[in-house]
Amino acid sequence: MSECRTEPVSIEFFDANAFIGRPIGGAVKSVETSADILTEMDDLSIGKAVIWHIDQYGSSPVSGNGFVNSVVGESERLLGCWTILPPQTDEVIDSEFFSRMKHNRVVCLRAFPDHHNYLLSRQVFGGFLDEVVERRVPLLLSMSGMPGGITWRSAYELLKDYPDLTCILCDTGVWLTDRYTRPLLENYPNVSLETSLVSLGARVVESIVAKYGAGRLVFGSGFPLRYPEAPMLQLIHAEISHEDKKMIASGNLENVISRVGL
Amino acid sequence: MSKLSALGEQFFALGKVEDCPIYDMHGHMGPNYGLYLPVTEPESVVRCMHRAGVKMLVFCHHAALLSCRGNDGNISGVRQFPDRLRAYCGVNPNYPETVKREVETFDDYGDVYVGFKFLADYHARKLTDDAYKPAWELADARELPVLLHTWGGSGFDGYEEVLSVVERYPNAKIMLGHSLHGDWDHAIEIIERFPNTYLELCAVIDDEQGILEKFVESIGSERILFGTDYPWFDFHYYIGAILGARISDEDRRNIFYRNAQKLLRGA
Repeated sequence: MSECRTEPVSIEFFDANAFIGRPIGGAVKSVETSADILTEMDDLSIGKAVIWHIDQYGSSPVSGNGFVNSVVGESERLLGCWTILPPQTDEVIDSEFFSRMKHNRVVCLRAFPDHHNYLLSRQVFGGFLDEVVERRVPLLLSMSGMPGGITWRSAYELLKDYPDLTCILCDTGVWLTDRYTRPLLENYPNVSLETSLVSLGARVVESIVAKYGAGRLVFGSGFPLRYPEAPMLQLIHAEISHEDKKMIASGNLENVISRVGL
Repeated sequence: MSKLSALGEQFFALGKVEDCPIYDMHGHMGPNYGLYLPVTEPESVVRCMHRAGVKMLVFCHHAALLSCRGNDGNISGVRQFPDRLRAYCGVNPNYPETVKREVETFDDYGDVYVGFKFLADYHARKLTDDAYKPAWELADARELPVLLHTWGGSGFDGYEEVLSVVERYPNAKIMLGHSLHGDWDHAIEIIERFPNTYLELCAVIDDEQGILEKFVESIGSERILFGTDYPWFDFHYYIGAILGARISDEDRRNIFYRNAQKLLRGA
């Protein structure tokens, strides 16, 4: 049997999945300002984070996207994530959309089609998502069962429409979902999985790394809904190489963001 | 990491802590219909236990609960690793004659079983169903641990059913697996009212912060047990969640091993 490490592990974490703001349904823990979330990140030794605002989901992306801008603008350690709506209603997407993303240091997008009442498909998003693909902007999708989650069928349909989409599947569910995720990893090279719940499955990280490589996993904490210490401890002591751990903890997300063209 | 306690620092640095063994009171073994499990067999499970400092896993093989093949997987698994594994005798109330038979032969496997596991939701039989009675009576007479799958709102193993059996069998050591998931206030009420009951944390600490803190504030940490549904959920993930909870290291030690050691004494 291989032994666990006997030396402290030093890994830089870059969190792909954290939100600010207070959910209307109540929450045991929430953070509202850049100072709040930076304190939490310091406590956990998380260097950087891509953040979104819960109002993007619960209230409206029209206002929620703006809340992200103000928080991200206060720290180089924070990057923003906006939420999209169908271009036809002119609420979020306009001709200056990508330049505004750049101006506000927004590097990722989210979509909550079921909660916001639209279909995440080519019929709806047409050339806009073609441009998202071309610019390699990652679309983060929270999967079913979690707040804002979309169905697996919707994710499969979206990727059939946009097979080259850079897509990070987040909050993959507490009922372990390899039977859903692995066909997507196999068919779409730009799909990766965020780890806040992938790490929950016993030996799932090790198994995915062995089959698909460490490049398909992106660290996320699920903060403030879940305990960041859980996926962090799992990754630090996963039975994979130190290089693979570094890729998952921060390197893969750095690479994804470095390719974004705005 | 500045937020971590002394115990947390050790777990993060080393992966396991010699003077803080983990007793996992809710495990399984074997493949499952609903999900892919990379680890299913005793050899690999014990290897993973070693990496996380899990000294003891008390489990019930999926086949003993989700098929009609009985407890062979429990018996062979424990006898393969008698220092690391113990089992719950799984019973299926839809076949009352098999419940009677398992109870009659329970003592033949004194080296294997610590008590019983009831999966009422899956078997669609209430915990108070007469078919369970022989197992309940043995557990009550011998003060044996019984691990219940419990879920808030369930007509089979929700609050009302759990209340009935904890009143009816005051000597059995009754563990509320998943802590009446979602019905946290009733879970706390049961612990406060019935000294023969325990909360178990599987599916409690993985998807929401704050529930464990609520339990500890309400009832203390002396009747809360660590459990992962292993090999569903990762040992380190659950250890990390408990390290992240805003409770003391003494509370964590109670949950990780002290409470289970007391509960298993004599079982």
